[in-house]
Amino acid sequence: MLEALGLASVDELFRDIPKKARIGRLGIGAGREEPEVVREIDKILDRNRPLPRFASFLGGRIGVRYLPAAVDAIVSRSEFYTAYTPYQAEASQGILRVLFEFQSLWVELTGMDLANASLYDGATAAGEALLLCRRVHEGRRFLVPASLPWEERSVLANYASGPGLTVEEIPYDPKTGRLDLEFVRTAVAARDVFGVLADIPNGFGHLDEGIPELKAILGEVPLVVSADPLSLSVLEAPGAYGADVVVGEGQGFGTSPSFGGPLLGLFACRKELARQAPGRIVGATVDVEGRRAYTLTLQTREQHIRRSRAMSNICTNESLMALAFVVYASLVGPRGLAALQSSLAEKARTLASALGGIDGLQAPRFDAPYLGEFTVELTRGTTAGFLDRLRRRKILGGIPLADPRPGAPPSPERLLVAATDSVGETESQKYASTARAWSAAGGKG
Amino acid sequence: MTFRQARWDEPDLWDLAAPPAGTDEPSIPSVPERLRRKSTFLWPELSELEVVRHYTRLSQMNFGIDTSAYPLGSCTMKYNPKVSELLARRPGASAVHPYQPESTVQGSLELIWRLERLLAKVTGLPEVSLQPAAGAHGEYAALLMVRAYLRDLGQTATRTEVLLPDTAHGTNPASASMAGFSTREIPSAEGCVDLKALREAVSEKTACFMLTNPNTAGLFESEILEIADVVHGAGGMLYYDGANLNAILGATHPGRMGFDVAHLNLHKTFATPHGGGGPGAGVLAAGEKLAPYLPVPRVVKSGRKFRLDYDRPKSIGKIKTAFGNFGLDVRAYAFALSHGEEGLKHVARRAVLNSNYLAARLGRSLPRPFRTLVKHEFVLSGAPLKERGVRTLDLAKRLLDEGIHAPTVYFPSLVEESLMVEMPETESKRELDHYAEAFERAVNDTPENLHAAPRSLSVRRVDEVRAAREPLLSWKDLRAAASGKAQAP
Repeated sequence: MLEALGLASVDELFRDIPKKARIGRLGIGAGREEPEVVREIDKILDRNRPLPRFASFLGGRIGVRYLPAAVDAIVSRSEFYTAYTPYQAEASQGILRVLFEFQSLWVELTGMDLANASLYDGATAAGEALLLCRRVHEGRRFLVPASLPWEERSVLANYASGPGLTVEEIPYDPKTGRLDLEFVRTAVAARDVFGVLADIPNGFGHLDEGIPELKAILGEVPLVVSADPLSLSVLEAPGAYGADVVVGEGQGFGTSPSFGGPLLGLFACRKELARQAPGRIVGATVDVEGRRAYTLTLQTREQHIRRSRAMSNICTNESLMALAFVVYASLVGPRGLAALQSSLAEKARTLASALGGIDGLQAPRFDAPYLGEFTVELTRGTTAGFLDRLRRRKILGGIPLADPRPGAPPSPERLLVAATDSVGETESQKYASTARAWSAAGGKG
Repeated sequence: MTFRQARWDEPDLWDLAAPPAGTDEPSIPSVPERLRRKSTFLWPELSELEVVRHYTRLSQMNFGIDTSAYPLGSCTMKYNPKVSELLARRPGASAVHPYQPESTVQGSLELIWRLERLLAKVTGLPEVSLQPAAGAHGEYAALLMVRAYLRDLGQTATRTEVLLPDTAHGTNPASASMAGFSTREIPSAEGCVDLKALREAVSEKTACFMLTNPNTAGLFESEILEIADVVHGAGGMLYYDGANLNAILGATHPGRMGFDVAHLNLHKTFATPHGGGGPGAGVLAAGEKLAPYLPVPRVVKSGRKFRLDYDRPKSIGKIKTAFGNFGLDVRAYAFALSHGEEGLKHVARRAVLNSNYLAARLGRSLPRPFRTLVKHEFVLSGAPLKERGVRTLDLAKRLLDEGIHAPTVYFPSLVEESLMVEMPETESKRELDHYAEAFERAVNDTPENLHAAPRSLSVRRVDEVRAAREPLLSWKDLRAAASGKAQAP
C-alpha cells in the first residue's frame, strides 16, 4: 500500500502532526495474547462477589431477574450487535423493525401515542422530558417528588442547569409517602411551573394513589410520569390519567445488571409533542414497490440536521437494549409479565410480614400499597451497620436511600428493599432472623 | 454483483399470534382499584421458537461489521473482538448490582480504576470518568463542567459562547445549546480551522472552543498548538471531541495538543460494539482546571482497596444512573490489554494507511476537495455525478447492492454532495481493493441503475419523505391507519 502511495514509510503519513505536538511512549505496557487477556481480566472480575453468591434484596431502578437464554441468543446475533444506527434504511430493516416493535411495546404499556427508539437510562430520559416540557410550556420551575432517588434528582438538576431552570421537590406525607397535592396546586397557581414529574412506584417503592389526580391540578402544565415497565403490566397506563410524557428504566427487561450499565431509557409522549421529542424515532413507510419498510424519521428534530436548535443531542442511544427489551417481553408475554409482577409482590409481602414487629425497624416504613419493593426505616443504628450484618450472612439487604455526598442534607436511615425472583420464603426468614439478632444487639452492626 | 440479502416476508409479531383477551391476569390484592390496569395492553403470546425465528430472520435483514465492511466516516466501525463479548458475559461482570456493598465489588471498581488510568495516559489528561453513556453525553457533561467552572470564576454571565468549526459533528452545537451556551461557527479554510477567523471570533465571551482533531474532513489540524494559544489567550477552554481519536493513538494526544477536556467513544476507538445504535460508552478526561468538576463518584484506590469517592465538592454531581456502561468498560479494557503500547500505535498507523490508500484509489473516481494527506477518514464530493442526474444518495444505495455499507453521506456539509469514508485498521488490503472496485463500478454505472438501487436488499428504495409526512410510529398507528383513522402528529 505504501508503494501505491509512493511512500517509503508510514511515518510520512504523520508529517502533518507538528513535532511539538508529538508524544513519546504512553507507558501502558506491551500487548498480550488472548489467553493472557482472559486470565488477567478474570483475575480482576474474580474479586467481585456477584449476585448469585448472595440472597439479594437489591432492586431500585436496576432489576435483577432471570433472563431466558433466548434473549442473549438473539442479542448475540452479530448482524445486530456489530451494526450501527440504521442510517441506510434499506440495509438495516432488521434493527429498524426491532426498534419499531420496541416503540410499539412502550406505547402499549404507557397508553401514549408514540415512543422514541430509546435513551441512555431512566434518569436521562427524565432529564430529556424536563427539557421537552420547557419547550412547550413557560416557567422556571420543574417539580419532582422529594422521594425521587437522589441520583435522579442530581441528573435532573444537571439537565435543568443549562437553561438556568430549577428542580424543586414536592414534599410527601410522612405517613404514606404520598405527594402533597396541595403543594403542587399552590406551585402551579403561581404560574411559574413548566412541568411536574411523578414516579410510580415512587422512590420508596410504594404506590401513590394521588398520582391519577395530578393532571386535573396541572391543567396545561405537562405531566411526566416515570414508570417501571413491569409494574405497568398490572397498573393503569399513565396515558389513561393524563400523562403527557412517560419515561422509565427498561434494563429489567432483558439486560443483566452489569454493575449499572448499559441501561435503557424509555420515552413516550402524546402525539401533539411528536416534533418536540428527543432522540431517534423509527417510522413505517413503503419502498418504491409499495412493500412495507421502516426508516428513521422526523429527523428534522435531530442534531445532525438541526444542530444547535435540535430537540436533543442524542446520536448513539441504546438500540441493543431495546432489542433485549422487546425479545424479553415477547418471550414472557403479557400474562407472564403480570404473573411475574404478582409473584414479586407476594414475595415482598412475605418479607414485610417477616420483618414486621422487629424492634428498631419499621417495615414497611410507609403506610401505602407496594408491589415488589418497599422502604424500611431503622429507628436505631445505621443502615451501614445493618447491611453489614446482613452481608456477613450472605444477604444483600437493600439500597440505602441517603445521598452519600458529604454536605447533603441529613436524612433518615432508610433502605429500599426489593423482592427478586432469586429469593423465596427461606431467604426472607433468614433476613428476618438476622434483623432480629441485630435488634437484640441494640442495633449494632 | 452477486450479493443478495435475505428477504423474508416476515409477518409482524402482532400477526404471529393473537393477543390474549387480557381479562385473566392475576390480580394483586395490594393494588388499589384506582391504580389497577383497565387499559388494554396488546402484546402477543408467542412460543420461544416463534420469537427466536422472528428475530433471527430480522437479523438476516441487517448489515453488520461481521457480514460486511462498514465504512461510515466518523463512526470507526472496526471489528469487535469476540473475546470481549465472552468476558463481558462473565458473572463477575454481568451479575453485579451497582449498589452492592463496596467490599463485594472490588473487581468492578478495580477494572474501572485501571481503565481510567490507562485512558489518562492515552489522552494525556490526568483525570478520567467513565460515567457518560455515549459520546454526545460526554460532550454535554464536559460543557456542564465548563459551566460550573465559569460559575466559580464568576464568569457565567459573560462567557456565554461556545465556538466550533463549521465541520463539527452536529452533536457539538446540540450539546452546547443544551448546556446553556450560544454557539458560533468558525469557517474553515481548505477544510481546516481558519486561524485568522478564530482570532477574530474569540473574545471575553468565549467559554469554550470544541474541536475534533483530526477533523471530520479527515484532516489533521496542524495549527493545533496555535489554536490552543488563541483560545487560552482569550480565557476560553479547549474541548476535544474524541470521535476521531483512532487516527492519532500513540502519535499525539489531547493533553499534548493543549486541550483542557475531552470525551472519547469506547465504541469507536476501543472496539466495543455499536449495537445497532448503542449502547455506547463515553469517557470524560479532564486537565487540572476541570478535573474537580468531573461527575461523582470517582473510583479511588486507598491501600489495596478501591472505593467510591463522593467527596468532590465542586463536582457537577451525576449525569447518569450508576457508574457508566460497565459492560463496555470490560470490553474496552480487553481491547487495550490485547493491544498494549505498540498495538495501539499500530491501530492509528494502519487506520491512516488504509485511509490514504483507499482515498488515492477512490480519488480517481470522484474529486477530493482538500489536501490529499488525510488521517483515518477522507471526504469525496459526489457533485460531478449531478451532470448525469445522479446524486450521492444514489451512489450510496448502489454501493449497498455490492454487499458493502455506504459511507457517511451529506456530511460534512461544507462539501457539496459529500461522502465521508472510514475504513478502520481491521480491514485488510483485499477488502480495500474490493471496496475500491465496487465503488468504481457503482460510480460508472448507468443513471437508471443508480436510481433504481438498491435491488439486492430486503426492500427497495425506502420512501423517507412519506415516513416523515405521514408518521406511523407504532402498531397503534398502523392499526389506526388500517381502520382509516390515521393520526398525524
